Amino acid sequence: MLLNSQQCDALRELGNIGAAHAATTLSTMLMTNIEMDVPDIKVIDISQVHQYVSDELAALVLFEITGEVSGGGYVLLHIPKNSVIRLTNAMLGMTEQDRELTEMDESALLEIGNIMVSAFLDATAGLLNIIMLPSPPTLTIDMPHAAVQSILASEGFMDINEVVLFRTELRSDQHKIINNLFLLPNEPMLDEIVSMLENLLKITSGPPGTA
Amino acid sequence: MSKEQPDPQTVIIGIGEYRIAKTPMSSIGLGSCIGLVLHSRNGGMGGMAHVMLPDSQGREDRPGKFADTAVEILVTELASAGCRTSQLVAKIAGGASMFKGFSGNLNIGERNAEAIIAALKGKNIELAGKDVGGTMGRTVTYYPALEGRMVIRSADGRVKEI
Repeated sequence: MLLNSQQCDALRELGNIGAAHAATTLSTMLMTNIEMDVPDIKVIDISQVHQYVSDELAALVLFEITGEVSGGGYVLLHIPKNSVIRLTNAMLGMTEQDRELTEMDESALLEIGNIMVSAFLDATAGLLNIIMLPSPPTLTIDMPHAAVQSILASEGFMDINEVVLFRTELRSDQHKIINNLFLLPNEPMLDEIVSMLENLLKITSGPPGTA
Repeated sequence: MSKEQPDPQTVIIGIGEYRIAKTPMSSIGLGSCIGLVLHSRNGGMGGMAHVMLPDSQGREDRPGKFADTAVEILVTELASAGCRTSQLVAKIAGGASMFKGFSGNLNIGERNAEAIIAALKGKNIELAGKDVGGTMGRTVTYYPALEGRMVIRSADGRVKEI
């Protein structure tokens, strides 16, 4: 196994803080409340990815994580197709639901992704006392499973059989918008983050005065 | 969504898996991965693998995962099920390049396709159809009992058959 249950809990808490910051920025952009679930963390076999990530069309904004961590980890913002227009409408102040996606929508999606993922990584890295930055984003409107699979087959993942699937859902009930943030660290990055978290927990759970 | 009626018998072949059967098999959301079908011209049976990487480098734990071992295991298992290699035809779909410009993606999709085609050539198996490359994800379903039809649905909703 890549992670034991204690490490999963620590990672979940870390992701929770990051996702809360991403939710705040989304809430500011849309001027509405954003509901957020506790992040879902699973260690799954690659053959089972299809049970958690579908082939239903969605907007996918992908970032590589850079900064003071080893490369090869990604953040993927997943917006189901029926949420995409509602999201960009809410952001651009438009109302027409039944329309094709334009370049304006694509710019808006990239911008939303940039702001949310920057906030997510910033808060996460801040807690670990390091710097993490998103690469420039790439947007594709495609099948989520195909995107995740392509990431898992990329060089940074080095022939894995298991993957840590980290997902958190952000919702606007008012606008009926759903977003999912996926964190896809490769093994070296995952090991680094987990050991930083363990050090952090050791320090904070030490006797009074030692922190 | 697929316009085909989903067949309750259809088995999903996940990343790195393979199977031989007479009933339909499907792989959803192929990106750089390739759905490899070896269909036997008589007997209405065949095998499918969800190939992730081009080269096993001698590893044997997941034969369906790599181009070289996937061709090998399907040929072997079909032979033990009574399908002679000379009766097999191959079909492949997938191998897209979804995220151009990311450092880690050194054309895995293209290399997967090349490796499978080379392995098929090594076994003298005819490549009867292919739908590879491009930038879009694909969901594929293979029907051994329907003359080996392979139905491909792209992310843009287009459906084609090879």
